[in-house]
Amino acid sequence: MTNPIITAFDRSPDGGRGLARDTRVRWALEEVGQPYDVQPMTVEALKQPAHLARNPFGQIPTFQTGDLTLFESGGIILHIALHHPGLLPADDDARSRAIMWMFAAVNSVEPAILELFNARMLEGDKSWAAERVPIVMERARKPLRQLAAHLGDDEWLDGAFTAGDLMMVSVLLRFRPAGLLDEFPTLAAYVARGEARPAYRRAYDAQHAFNTRSES
Amino acid sequence: MTDPTITAFDWVPPFAQGQVRDLRVRWAFEEVGQSYDVRYLSQGEQKEPPHRDRQPFGQVPTLEDGDLTLFESGAIVLHVAETHDGLLPTDRSARARAIEWMFAALNSVEPAIMDLSFVTLFEADKPWSAMRRGSVEERIHGRLKDLSARLGDKTWLDGDTFTAGDLLMVTVLRILIDQGFVESYDNLAAYMHRGIDRPAFQRALAAQMDGFTGEPPAWFAAWAAKMKQGEQA
Repeated sequence: MTNPIITAFDRSPDGGRGLARDTRVRWALEEVGQPYDVQPMTVEALKQPAHLARNPFGQIPTFQTGDLTLFESGGIILHIALHHPGLLPADDDARSRAIMWMFAAVNSVEPAILELFNARMLEGDKSWAAERVPIVMERARKPLRQLAAHLGDDEWLDGAFTAGDLMMVSVLLRFRPAGLLDEFPTLAAYVARGEARPAYRRAYDAQHAFNTRSES
Repeated sequence: MTDPTITAFDWVPPFAQGQVRDLRVRWAFEEVGQSYDVRYLSQGEQKEPPHRDRQPFGQVPTLEDGDLTLFESGAIVLHVAETHDGLLPTDRSARARAIEWMFAALNSVEPAIMDLSFVTLFEADKPWSAMRRGSVEERIHGRLKDLSARLGDKTWLDGDTFTAGDLLMVTVLRILIDQGFVESYDNLAAYMHRGIDRPAFQRALAAQMDGFTGEPPAWFAAWAAKMKQGEQA
């Protein structure tokens, strides 16, 4: 059986800090012990028909295995989790809650950091940026505050580590460069537990090596 | 077996009526023919402990089904789809693609659309909102154009079969209805209306609207006046 193929930036804009969304898919594949191949995509290639056929929005990552092509990191990770043991609990209710946390990560937490990215990067040179960025920052703290209150001193969101934690840690990592993650010590510790997992280390190291490789 | 219970608001501002996310769950239940009960919350109650225990982000909807409590409309719709026939294909690949579209609706399309709500509502009183509008609209059109290209002349996102992915995508697109965005793409507008025209959607919408029997909270009049002032400035 051939390995699944994921797409990643030829060179991630973050220089290999692991914040591009291929890292979370690599992490899921590492957690379940599934080897994979990586197809690098230049910025130009992302918008070409061959890639738009994989992902209509011209983004990474995508996932190809046999006849199946998927995009959306959430969709890919859930697919991996559903078809390999290790990322979802066996109990039906616990499994539904793990999937719930995946959706919470991408729909209730991640939009705040996307908005901040837009405010700081895409609109960073605008006249209103200095006044607006603090407002957007404060809005981004809200889900973090709520999540920190919910997590408390628990190790993971719902008992054992699941795909929900994998997604939530991956999303929370994106708040770190703005300094927001470290404002919430319980969340920072939670993220650190995720980063300490051997599978995360392998995924991080793989993307880092990939993004800092010298041209052949 | 008792029916599952969802939460919904007994009142929301007029602009949000018919758009609150319990609509998605109601629609899913209607599609699969599952009756459900609703626990209505008055504005403010969503932030208080009994509901906070169900929903750490203080939002609706939630689902209580036996011992299981869930939040996140996407997760609830997926749970309904996995435990009933009719919203997910049985073929393994088609099923994965339907779930992929659920995430795409919520993570690739909805955030761009929600940004518009800051321009038109939540930051409407700020001087930059008028200036931001162009770039926000451009980002929305970027997504819609790509989605329109992928949809092509298909009936639903993955062909002839309506799935939970379509259910979420239609509700996300419908946030923009009649504002000229979706209507710029004939195939996308037709797709959205195919979803809206489904009897199950119409029953879900009517049920949400019927639930708004409460009164606006004290803060609403002052907030609305401030926002109106911002729009005129």
